[in-house]
Amino acid sequence: MAAIGLRCCIQNLSRHKRIWPNISLLSSSNKINTWQNSRLLCTASPVIDAQDQKKEVETRLTDYGRYLLDIIPKYLQGINLALGDELELLVYPEALIPTMIFLRNHTNAQFESLVDITAIDVPKREYRFELIYNLLSLRYNSRVRVKTYTDELTPIESITPIFPGANWFEREVWDMYGVYFANHPDLRRILTDYGFDGHPQRKDFPLSGYTELRYDDELKRIVSEPVEFAQEFRKFDLETPWEQFPAYREENRASLEAGEEIKEENQKK
Amino acid sequence: MAARAVAEVKPLLSSTSIEARRRVFNLYREWYREVPRAIQTYKLDITVDEGRNKVREMFLRNAGIHDLRKIDMLIIKGRMELQEINSIWKAKTHIMRYFEETKPERPKEFLSKFLDGHYN
Repeated sequence: MAAIGLRCCIQNLSRHKRIWPNISLLSSSNKINTWQNSRLLCTASPVIDAQDQKKEVETRLTDYGRYLLDIIPKYLQGINLALGDELELLVYPEALIPTMIFLRNHTNAQFESLVDITAIDVPKREYRFELIYNLLSLRYNSRVRVKTYTDELTPIESITPIFPGANWFEREVWDMYGVYFANHPDLRRILTDYGFDGHPQRKDFPLSGYTELRYDDELKRIVSEPVEFAQEFRKFDLETPWEQFPAYREENRASLEAGEEIKEENQKK
Repeated sequence: MAARAVAEVKPLLSSTSIEARRRVFNLYREWYREVPRAIQTYKLDITVDEGRNKVREMFLRNAGIHDLRKIDMLIIKGRMELQEINSIWKAKTHIMRYFEETKPERPKEFLSKFLDGHYN
């Protein structure tokens, strides 16, 4: 039975492939090195240009994005191709649920696996939080990123009924950013300690936090007090040690300028 | 006529101030009833009256807030904290944090205020 089912499934899919040859993410391509033609590669290896392959992926994803824009125009604000090969769908907050249902159930999408939910905080914006849902379609070996937006006091609909795995992800976003998910079955803190004040991943949350803990010998328990720094520790280097924007290096410019000065000095000599 | 003087927003829980008020009172009532139970389960060194006064103080601290959505958000957070106490997820130290026992007294004299510096 299972074998028959599988064969039917394959036949169905091949039919879909014929209907939308350019749109389906599965659109077969000789240039892309899938596991099926990797066996062919062993006998006669075709030359694959990395640039061509990248372009191929790009056009495939933009075509798919356009296709989505055509069939669900009311839900999507736009599509975006991040880093050349990551398709992003920009969704209205009210349309998050229907979009997610569509992406999970539609034959040409089948994004059945929710990989992650996260958010970013940009306090300047009118809606300061950007919510990011990463989806994976095992059927088409493809990923998509759904983005929407909200602010501190606007509830966003929970997608737990559609993807049960979203439960903890949404709790994490609530805990870290304070985005309220409406109709979540069990929304409460997940990473911070009980009695913790504030949402640590917000940009206006100080790096040191608001409170510090210490053991009080008189009370014989841990007490929490507002953070206070002694004067000699008041100078902080709060910059992250990791390089966040490698393309825009401040040191490069500085070192260049320094080098020029050195050259000039040498010329003077 | 001012065009769209008030922006329409999606309500968090309550759509009218009466509804929000009712929610606040319900939450206050739940906290009020929780106090003796919490004192017993956590073996706290406070009286029931002290606990209830603290609850009242915490509620009155937000008395000036009139934005419905802010009230709703406080209700949501308040209910979550109540659940943490009720399910004994918190420990004694977490509950006693409301009472700020180790908070230093603020100086009252002029000179001691001056010497204390950044507190003022």
